[in-house]
Amino acid sequence: MEMAASAALKLRLPGELRRLEEFGRRAKIGARRVHMLSDLTKWDPAAQVAAIATRGDRAAFVALFGFYAPRIKGFLMRSGTAADVAEEIAQEAMLAVWRKAATFDPARAGVSTWIYTIARNLRIDRLRHERGVSADALHDALDSDEPQRPDDIVQGAERDERVRAAMKDLSAEQREVVRLSFFEDKPHAEIAETLGIPLGTVKSRLRLAMARLRQRLDELS
Amino acid sequence: MTIAHHPSDITLAGFAAGQLGEARELVVATHLAVCPACRAAARAFECLGGVGLETESTVAVAPDALERALAAIDQVPGVAPIVVPDDHSGFPAPLRHYKLGAWRKIGRALEWRPVAVPASGGVRVFMLRAKPGTRIPSHAHAGIEWTCVLQGAFRHQQGRFGAGDFDEADETVDHDPVVEDGEICVCLVAMQGQIRLKGLIGRLLQPLVRI
Repeated sequence: MEMAASAALKLRLPGELRRLEEFGRRAKIGARRVHMLSDLTKWDPAAQVAAIATRGDRAAFVALFGFYAPRIKGFLMRSGTAADVAEEIAQEAMLAVWRKAATFDPARAGVSTWIYTIARNLRIDRLRHERGVSADALHDALDSDEPQRPDDIVQGAERDERVRAAMKDLSAEQREVVRLSFFEDKPHAEIAETLGIPLGTVKSRLRLAMARLRQRLDELS
Repeated sequence: MTIAHHPSDITLAGFAAGQLGEARELVVATHLAVCPACRAAARAFECLGGVGLETESTVAVAPDALERALAAIDQVPGVAPIVVPDDHSGFPAPLRHYKLGAWRKIGRALEWRPVAVPASGGVRVFMLRAKPGTRIPSHAHAGIEWTCVLQGAFRHQQGRFGAGDFDEADETVDHDPVVEDGEICVCLVAMQGQIRLKGLIGRLLQPLVRI
């Protein structure tokens, strides 16, 4: 039964969630609150990851797979990965989600960010043809154990949400540059060419956008 | 360790997005290993990737993808922990994954050793070691020159750079660093192209500097 519920959620969620968030914005209710109040709050990816970690919950895996596998494939193809390789990496990334579920730390990141870093590292390793040191090892410098404060528990998801909100605060021009640079992985020179603006303008827009983002996140701590 | 100079936000975001290539990534990771503030910032920029993943367009996976995954999860082995090699003791963890070449002299007071990073985008990594008081000849860059100080300190037009500091120079920067008195200065450098030495001493040294 749990399996069926998850599968149903899988089909309904993405659109539903967006509509709910939109409703929440108009009603000036935070997206988190909307998720909490809605009937669809069972879509709690952090709980799904925990279910995998604690009891190898396959239904939870099915739900996460339905939501994230097509997103990982989309992310990889946007950044220039061939469809068949993107399919393979999406598969590997989801297996890594299963395997590493116990290492997921909700204080450190939201589930989307965590899964993003898994896919990113697999992509880096592919690009380097496994010749270099694994991306896990280099990016693990971030994992060192800073002391956690009690209120850190909500921080991962909260942080993701701040970034989402901050993205909406950016000017359309800044948002476009951030999208091209970080969501589509375009080099600065190519962005300048695509948009028909000087390279310096690309950099200054990115700098302003990053500063804005950091400011939003610093309000958290 | 008081760190005064950090990578730019764009660099930290590029690191979080996996865009830097291994050579630059190593120098940034070495700084992150000793700088909690930049670790937090890089983490924050990872959220940008998470948000992109969640909100941008999706591409349908193969019809049997889920089935294959479900068949595979029964067989996946546990996670092997990352073992940080313990040689070159004293260096930050990211650096310990790489082979270091032998020290070679450049002139009297300066030495360098290659760090075995596969060349990425024409950027190479090496360590520089200089005696206290050494004046590095004034030089310009053909591309980026990112430096993370591992030990000791130097000064140039942009200020004082001590252990942990990150100096992000590129082709727009000319500088002539001087190593501070006291301690031997050791730096990790990612460099694109050759440096161009200036002045008479520089021109005399140039043939020797094939790093």
